[in-house]
Amino acid sequence: MHPTQRTVSYLPADDSGPDDGALVRRMAAGDEKALGLLYDRWSPLLHSVARRIVADPNDAEEVLEEAFWQAWRQAGRYEEGRGGVSTWLTMIVRSRALDRVRARGRLREESWENIPEPGSGDGEGPASPDAAAEQDERRRLIAAAVAQLPPEQRETVELAYFRGLSQSEIAAKLGQPLGTVKTRARLALQKLRESLVVFREEGG
Amino acid sequence: MSLDTEHENVQAALAAEALDALDGEEREALHAHLAGCAECRAELESLREAASLLAHTAPHVPLAPARSDRIRARLLARAAADVRGGEAAEPVVAAPETRVIPIASRRRSALPAWLAAAASVLIAIGLGAYALSLRGRVSSLEQQTASLSRDRGRLESTLAEREATLAALAGPEVRVITLASTQERAPSGRMFWNPVRRRYTFFAYNLPQVRPGREYQLWLITPAGPVAAPTFRPGRDGAGSVEGAYDVPNEQIRAVAVTEEPAGGLPKPTGEVLIVGNAAE
Repeated sequence: MHPTQRTVSYLPADDSGPDDGALVRRMAAGDEKALGLLYDRWSPLLHSVARRIVADPNDAEEVLEEAFWQAWRQAGRYEEGRGGVSTWLTMIVRSRALDRVRARGRLREESWENIPEPGSGDGEGPASPDAAAEQDERRRLIAAAVAQLPPEQRETVELAYFRGLSQSEIAAKLGQPLGTVKTRARLALQKLRESLVVFREEGG
Repeated sequence: MSLDTEHENVQAALAAEALDALDGEEREALHAHLAGCAECRAELESLREAASLLAHTAPHVPLAPARSDRIRARLLARAAADVRGGEAAEPVVAAPETRVIPIASRRRSALPAWLAAAASVLIAIGLGAYALSLRGRVSSLEQQTASLSRDRGRLESTLAEREATLAALAGPEVRVITLASTQERAPSGRMFWNPVRRRYTFFAYNLPQVRPGREYQLWLITPAGPVAAPTFRPGRDGAGSVEGAYDVPNEQIRAVAVTEEPAGGLPKPTGEVLIVGNAAE
């Protein structure tokens, strides 16, 4: 990837106003309004990720707040061009959510069939219909890319990403050699990385 | 293991690392390699970016606007307090079986910074009000003290006068001059004359009321003529008194007299003598 290239595939629909990098720089300079703008832009995604990982809705809200607080505190350490702000934010919220799960000793143990498919979100979506449409479109594209993965590859990366399992735990859970788990993970991420290029072209 | 082999192993491990799925030892080995290999660092970053796409596959679960607004407002308040030097550097992780509202600071008291800031403002206001009320109390006490000082000064000077009067009256050297009326009516007077202290205290009795604008004046009679002493007005009972010092040589005081004069007195008597007494032994 090109470090200086902006990852437009990650930009949410409300692409107005300062870009994410500028907001993070303002946060690092102590501008709390920038934190508010970043929250407006990314809290729907981060909350959804938190809900995907932790069992309890209240826990998810607390994780969301913790994640943005950590982003505020570590804004000075954010390095532009390392996967973009959304990568940074999703890494933070995922890490906080998994910490919460470990602290609770409770995983989200719902059967995976009960998790609604991407794009079939219930209740209110983002503020404007246009934004909703664009976000749905983005989610649909990404979901399609993930759906194109062979099921065993998808399962491997999802166990790692949403359940916080290590490769040896995944190997034990799936009854597969460690090398196989490694390979599946690598193939899956490489395919997703290829789709990133497509998103960039589509996103302009 | 050759460098190439190591590099191959690392490449195999990078995807797992991008998913934070590496176990301890392998992870340490990878990080050691990454420290000296820019190519692998770049590869890891791009794989991390790819892994983060998985976040977008999480089903969209909207946050109720009121709850979202509360979280947003709390974050901004915390951040504003943080700019002024507030909270703990790392978010607090909930302990098991504990509901943590993540506003507690790990580094300091259990007061979140924004709350502490608000409290300190209130405390400052409280201190300001308290200081004002203290200032008020101090100034009122100062006024009381000043007024008491004035009272005390008045009492002390009154007491000093009384003591001087007593001293003037009580000494063995004090002579008493009795003044008798020159008229049918019987006004009278008595002067306590202390030649050592060169003071006199004069009392008059049964004096007729003076006309408006007039007062009685005491005179020390000397060979050179009357020497003016202070004036006085009798009370309703006709009694009056006056005291003072004199600088006439004692032996020259031959007599004392009282006349009626314009208020404030005159250097030389103009009215007729009401009572008179001989100072001679």
